[in-house]
Amino acid sequence: MSAHPAILSEDQRDCYQELTNVAMGQAADRLARLLNAYIVLPIPKISVIESSELNMALRDAGNDSSVSAVCQGFIGSGIAGEAMLMFNDTSFASLATLMQHTGPLNKHAELELLMDTASILIGACIHGIGDQLEIHFNQGHPVVLGQHCDMNELLKRGNNGWDRTLAIEIHYTIEHVNIECELLLLFTEESVKTLNKKIDFLLD
Amino acid sequence: MIVTMTLNVLICDDSSFARKQMARALPPEWTVEVHFACDGVEGVAAIKEGKADVMFLDLTMPNLDGYGVLEAIRKEDLPTMVIVVSGDIQPDAQERVKALGAMAFIKKPIDADKARTVLAEYGILTEA
Repeated sequence: MSAHPAILSEDQRDCYQELTNVAMGQAADRLARLLNAYIVLPIPKISVIESSELNMALRDAGNDSSVSAVCQGFIGSGIAGEAMLMFNDTSFASLATLMQHTGPLNKHAELELLMDTASILIGACIHGIGDQLEIHFNQGHPVVLGQHCDMNELLKRGNNGWDRTLAIEIHYTIEHVNIECELLLLFTEESVKTLNKKIDFLLD
Repeated sequence: MIVTMTLNVLICDDSSFARKQMARALPPEWTVEVHFACDGVEGVAAIKEGKADVMFLDLTMPNLDGYGVLEAIRKEDLPTMVIVVSGDIQPDAQERVKALGAMAFIKKPIDADKARTVLAEYGILTEA
């Protein structure tokens, strides 16, 4: 995956990373309280990538297995983007236990678990970043990209025709249980210009 | 604790933005010498050099994270008072760092009010 420093300086990248750090911590706190578990927080990855590289970026995240995913658009103050939450399908059994789900763990039940988790993680993360930049984001309706599918297939469906995007990747894992998910925040190239202005204001 | 003329304060965080934010949040009238460390390894080295009477410590860092720093402080009995400043605000994270010997926990993003409150609470501000 190649970086494009032309649209992001090192100071700006560092600032995005720190803002994400705070936002993903707030999101993890909400999920931790719901699941009564400890969420392991990674260092988030900030990169500017071509749409065609997104595939590789996700591969780097180490997920070649069957996944289920939801995406949700957000918009505010001239900034638009899309959040995507991907679950490794092997995560659902543990997730069901932690969520105290009773009954059979079928596709419908998995979808419910996926949507519940997505609404917490995506909402808290987006608003956490927005709060620090004094932007109010409105969220669109969540859309299921697919259940039990291959990553390539999924990315084709999620492809939005953007050329370059700012990608924020957060790989959440939950301690002691087999739950892994990847939260991806993608901002349009136009949005990055506006975002960078806000970032520069904070850096001043 | 050895009483010196000027208190040494160490800000240990991998983000330059976060270090700057932390430094700006320190009370302006507090006469201290501020030092910086970019990860846990540098942080531990700085404590050993006597640069950390008070240390503001981040948790998520490369090389050696904040938990590792707290363990090293305890294991080697290093002289510093640690205030953890972290975005990991899960109840578990706060309990763990307190159990490892951190004096206080401040939720990121840091601001001047939060810093002042904690420093006053532990009587550090009056020492200057």
